[in-house]
Amino acid sequence: MAHSLTLPSWCRAAAATPARTARLMDLAGATDAALMQAAAAGDRTAFAELVGRHGERALRLALRVLGDSPGARDEAEDVAQEAFLRAWQAAAGFDPERARFTTWLHRIVLNLAIDRARRRATAGPALGPEVLAEWPDPAPGPEEQAATAERAATLHAALATLPAKHRAAIALAYEDGLSGAEAAAALDVSERALEGLLRRARQALRALLEGKP
Amino acid sequence: MTPERFAELLDRRGPALARWPAADRAAAEALLAGSPAARAALAEARALDAALRGALPRPDPAALARLQDRIARSIARAPLPAPSGLLARLRAALHPAAPAGWGALVAVATCALWLGLAGVPRAAVDPLGPLLTLPLAGESL
Repeated sequence: MAHSLTLPSWCRAAAATPARTARLMDLAGATDAALMQAAAAGDRTAFAELVGRHGERALRLALRVLGDSPGARDEAEDVAQEAFLRAWQAAAGFDPERARFTTWLHRIVLNLAIDRARRRATAGPALGPEVLAEWPDPAPGPEEQAATAERAATLHAALATLPAKHRAAIALAYEDGLSGAEAAAALDVSERALEGLLRRARQALRALLEGKP
Repeated sequence: MTPERFAELLDRRGPALARWPAADRAAAEALLAGSPAARAALAEARALDAALRGALPRPDPAALARLQDRIARSIARAPLPAPSGLLARLRAALHPAAPAGWGALVAVATCALWLGLAGVPRAAVDPLGPLLTLPLAGESL
């Protein structure tokens, strides 16, 4: 799988010399395990390469567990940042023989996101007029476009009522390129248990959508 | 395969039959060929699947760039990764106990060891003790 090399500004500035450019090209071709080994030795540039490769999926998973309201988007960024920081701090303890880097990272992201979603749920009601008001109104336009946007808003609201772990299962199921085994490992459950979570989530979503007038 | 079992598998595995195990896929296809109810269930599952794919939030490029920048800044400030292994963790755990540095800690440990091995010194022998047993002047022998 090809990965784009996205480096932060502090790293790009340091990449001006040909030697550094060659090193960055080496990093781009390195495996995740090799990059983690370099990170464990204190190589921040190697870790930045890992962030470039996997940051988007980490953020997407956090976002899909925490929801799509403006506040939740900020929380998702916090969760993804915290997950990478923990990965950096624990880099020396990462064992590629036991798990793939992505499985390890996704598990950190999902645990943090689920914990945060649960804390938020116990702090207040998950769904009410206030929560529904956070979703944007359907954009004005053709009737079909408005109906699609309304259905999406309804689905967002329905997703917000699911338990955080069910949202995590849905998030993993709709990640392209992720096998069932990898998704189950990321959630630290068996494949059968993951299917059970998906079944309950889909049944609940269908019931919520059918119940809407 | 019954329509009920098919509906359960649709919820468990989703409507992409190509991703199902071969045996279940073959049984599902046989059911679909003769069951309008199964075809309706599949259509409904596909509609929910498509709606979910469209509704699930995606991070925008600005958020991703912001995240990468935030991580880079926090990693630049963060200490180097904690070493792994029992010895390294023990050294890290003991580090706060050495306010004057490892040299002082080692010196204290050496002194403690030396004192422990040397044991408590015996009380000095009283040099005048034997005189107390001598007969005093005038005392009959």
